[in-house]
Amino acid sequence: MICPMRETIIAIMSSIADDSDLHLKSELHDQDVLLECGLDSLGFAILVAHLEEEFGYDPFSLMDQPYYPRTFGEFVAIYQKYAP
Amino acid sequence: MFETLFQLLSELPPDGRALLLPSECIPMATLRRDASLLAQHSQLPKGCRIALCGLSPLKLIKAVIAFDGTVNVMLLLPASMDARTTNQLIQSSHCTHRIDALLDEPESIASLLNLPLRDEAPTRWLLASSGTTGTPKLIEHTLASLCRSVKRDTVCGSEFVWGLLYDPCRFAGMQVVLQALLSTSGLCVSESMDFDTQITGFIANKVNALSATPSLWRRLLMDGRIAELPLRQITLGGETVDQNILDALKHAFPVARVIHIYASTEVGTGFSVHDGFAGFPANWIDSVIAPLPLRVREDGHLLVKPWILPGGKEILDRVDADGYLDTQDLVRVEGDRVFFLGRASGAINVGGNKVNPEEIECCIREVEGVYDVRVYAKKNSIMGQIVAAEVVSAIEVEPEPLRKSIQRHCRSHLENWQVPVFISFVTALKETSSGKRERLPV
Repeated sequence: MICPMRETIIAIMSSIADDSDLHLKSELHDQDVLLECGLDSLGFAILVAHLEEEFGYDPFSLMDQPYYPRTFGEFVAIYQKYAP
Repeated sequence: MFETLFQLLSELPPDGRALLLPSECIPMATLRRDASLLAQHSQLPKGCRIALCGLSPLKLIKAVIAFDGTVNVMLLLPASMDARTTNQLIQSSHCTHRIDALLDEPESIASLLNLPLRDEAPTRWLLASSGTTGTPKLIEHTLASLCRSVKRDTVCGSEFVWGLLYDPCRFAGMQVVLQALLSTSGLCVSESMDFDTQITGFIANKVNALSATPSLWRRLLMDGRIAELPLRQITLGGETVDQNILDALKHAFPVARVIHIYASTEVGTGFSVHDGFAGFPANWIDSVIAPLPLRVREDGHLLVKPWILPGGKEILDRVDADGYLDTQDLVRVEGDRVFFLGRASGAINVGGNKVNPEEIECCIREVEGVYDVRVYAKKNSIMGQIVAAEVVSAIEVEPEPLRKSIQRHCRSHLENWQVPVFISFVTALKETSSGKRERLPV
């Protein structure tokens, strides 16, 4: 089943990678380690900023206890969890 | 013995131009008479501490002429300041009287405190300094320190008509007021700080000398109406002056003398640069040829040794053992030139990397189709802050291709953390009340 939020995240990651001359993995799986997906930490900062524009919230600023996802699956899950 | 502003003006020809309104010229004699009447009617006790709150430029000018030398402290607060800050500053300055905008009505003067009054001494002028982050600090001056770099040549001065764009409550605005009055140039003022009203007045009075921040100059150029002005003197200050704005002004007004001034409420007028290039000559550092002693600290802070150091704890905390004041301006020496990078406190921090907004703005302004730009910090939960930009573009330019051009240009000229993540298009840029770029992080 296609998850629209997951697809949006991948599309934005891909666009950031293109803009920054980075190479995103051709296929992303839930268990993939985030920092090995192809984006660097600045890339993720940019990703979070763009996702806030897209979805209207930044889950990392909503967390009582800061939690940084390790895998791509965890990253997507955080956005799903904090969706209004 | 000290001279008051009223006394200085009394030495000038009574029929000389003083203030120019859109439909009226107020000669020096009339201005002095109005100030004298105001001093009589206000019945303020000698040595009191007054707060001048939100007065129109015209009323403020009359008030400072009326009260300099009579009151112990004169706190100048602009109309744009919010009520909470205004009250805070009045309280912290222990003002005994508050004078509000309605200067001609008796109830406009409110008695606040019963403090012992001071003996006669030069009036202490308290001016609010607005940093790029907008936190007001009070810097103390006297008429002597405010007039230090004012030229009092009435022959040369009579050839100029100054326009007042700045709020006269601010250091830069008061410099224009004193320069124009003491050299008998006319000073074009309006009843409000409204931009359109100011421009209309300038055109009506054929203003030929203007002082403004680079941001205001860009706005003036975009506005276009100043093309009608026979400008002979163009002064820039208050913000980093880049080559683009100097070139644009020189191109628009080829006969004008374009100078940029390094001045601040704290330092007063430090030095002015006349050669048409951004920054200042590197051979001024630690050299006797400099207009005043200058040093560049290891961390890039510009240090200056002002001729007259304003008072106040805030200032003293920033003075080193050799008497040099940390201006908190960041500079970089490149070859034979020293360039300003912006305020140390205005820098954007992207994951530990400091970004100077002015540097990014200069880069973006190089892109064709960009009229003006504001770079600011956007809060980010991953890197602390990221860089964002608001761009004013030429009307005929499509936003999307321009956004791509800007990003391409920035990527090829800047570090990747300096490249704006967000570029939005706006019709006008926000400025602080002192005419500087608004840099509050969002």
